[in-house]
Amino acid sequence: MNQVVFESVRKVFRHRPALFNWIGRERTGETLALNGVSFCAANREVVALLGPNGSGKTTALKLVSTMLIPDGGSVRVSGFDAQHDSANVRRRVGIAVATERSFFPRLSARENLEFFSALDEIPRRERTRRIEEVLRDTGLEEQADTLVTKFSSGMFQRLGLARALVKQPRVLLLDEPTRSLDARATASLWATIRALARQSTTVLLATHNFAEAAAVADRILVLSGGRLLENRALSGQESADDLRALYFQQTGDRGIAMDPSSPCNEPVAARHRMESVP
Amino acid sequence: MNSVLDKLLAILRRDLLTAIRHRSGFALTLFGVFTELAAFYYLSRAIGPGFRPDGNEYFPFLLVGTGLYTFFVMSGQAFLSTVQEAQQTGTIEVLMTTSTAPSEVLILSAISAFAGSLGNLLIYLFAGILVFRAPIHPNPASCLTVLALSLVIAMAVGILAATIQIMVQKGSAVLWLLGSGLWFLSGTMFPVENLPRVLAMVARAVPFTYALSAMRQALIEGRSLSAMAPVLAPLAVFAIFLLPLAVGSLSFSLRRARQCGTLSLY
Repeated sequence: MNQVVFESVRKVFRHRPALFNWIGRERTGETLALNGVSFCAANREVVALLGPNGSGKTTALKLVSTMLIPDGGSVRVSGFDAQHDSANVRRRVGIAVATERSFFPRLSARENLEFFSALDEIPRRERTRRIEEVLRDTGLEEQADTLVTKFSSGMFQRLGLARALVKQPRVLLLDEPTRSLDARATASLWATIRALARQSTTVLLATHNFAEAAAVADRILVLSGGRLLENRALSGQESADDLRALYFQQTGDRGIAMDPSSPCNEPVAARHRMESVP
Repeated sequence: MNSVLDKLLAILRRDLLTAIRHRSGFALTLFGVFTELAAFYYLSRAIGPGFRPDGNEYFPFLLVGTGLYTFFVMSGQAFLSTVQEAQQTGTIEVLMTTSTAPSEVLILSAISAFAGSLGNLLIYLFAGILVFRAPIHPNPASCLTVLALSLVIAMAVGILAATIQIMVQKGSAVLWLLGSGLWFLSGTMFPVENLPRVLAMVARAVPFTYALSAMRQALIEGRSLSAMAPVLAPLAVFAIFLLPLAVGSLSFSLRRARQCGTLSLY
């Protein structure tokens, strides 16, 4: 069964002009964040969303989480419409957002998790056990009773993952989950993602990291300018370089990169650029 | 019901822990309460016993007026701050994706914010009565009724401020209006009858006017519920009308913010 289904999804962000806009130069008009995007994510599948900045990856995740409502088409999660049956969708979806500081700074990691667990309607008798589990799984046991205002970026990111996992969601949404993680934590997270998939969780993962996509994904989606350019199942044999080549082939990204060694920051050859992409 | 109570307790705990971990905040609030009361006490003594607004001594008149009005403003401010901080940290988006309905999260947060302000009001009134010897003759049933209706109105105002914050990111403007525009219209420091006729008519359209008048009648004069009917009836109408309006507006604003992607704009 498909856990996530996008059907011709369209999402537009409108920029309303401010009063007295002639004084400043605020942008007006529309941004087409997603344009007719359709795809499915099956049960136990890990789907990696790749694409340049502003391609619509985070928007897609936010639509699944019900943070956003589509302007056209439909998003269905476990058979429930994200727009009209959002309560049922929210019960099944966990999201770890890229925003690092989306916690209450004067609460400890454990207190933050207890708070969100209550709002996620996790039964009281299960709460303590689940929180201990996710703190252990994300390597935050020792910092469990530290106020999160003292956390580093990587610890915030791990706590974000813990918050999403404590809900035991059917669909897990991860937005650049390893952006601030060290190598050990990254490897551990990749193992966790694969383990979750084996336990019937569907994972949607927005990332710029080809090695990450190659390590965990069963399928990749390449987005650019709000359009879905590629929807490809992976055999498990693809390397990060294979995905990188596919990405640049699909996005046609021949943008100008800067040679960091040049004082004038001269544009450098495409081959050189490819080597600088993670 | 258990689930709602569980969530409310979680929100109350969050707010309590946050408040007590701002170590100096509580002490400063207490200091502020006593300084303000002392100022009003000596102001009423300076004015003298000849000034008896609504037939009451001036100090208890001020005590109830400023205490209840501050409760309205602080409640709205506390709730609005919760929403603004959640927008600034990005917590609001995550809160909106929990299993709890977004409007329920915000309404429970409002209740928690008002519980804190209610504690503040009680400290203010008790300090005025016990330390500064304000003469009162409370009617408990009347006091509780007025307090309950005032709570509903305060919640409605707070939720409306949060709605405006979510819609146009200018919730503080509502509280500015409350803090600087309405206090003198609602009879906080002098009876509204002293205002020019036009302004007195405008004052009759402000729910706080009735709340302050009713609380003075209940707490200072000890009037019964039946004797307070003329002031309780409009207060109840405001409460019945404003809260559903506020909750409906909040639901609409949340839906619109999800449509526009402006939930975390501030």
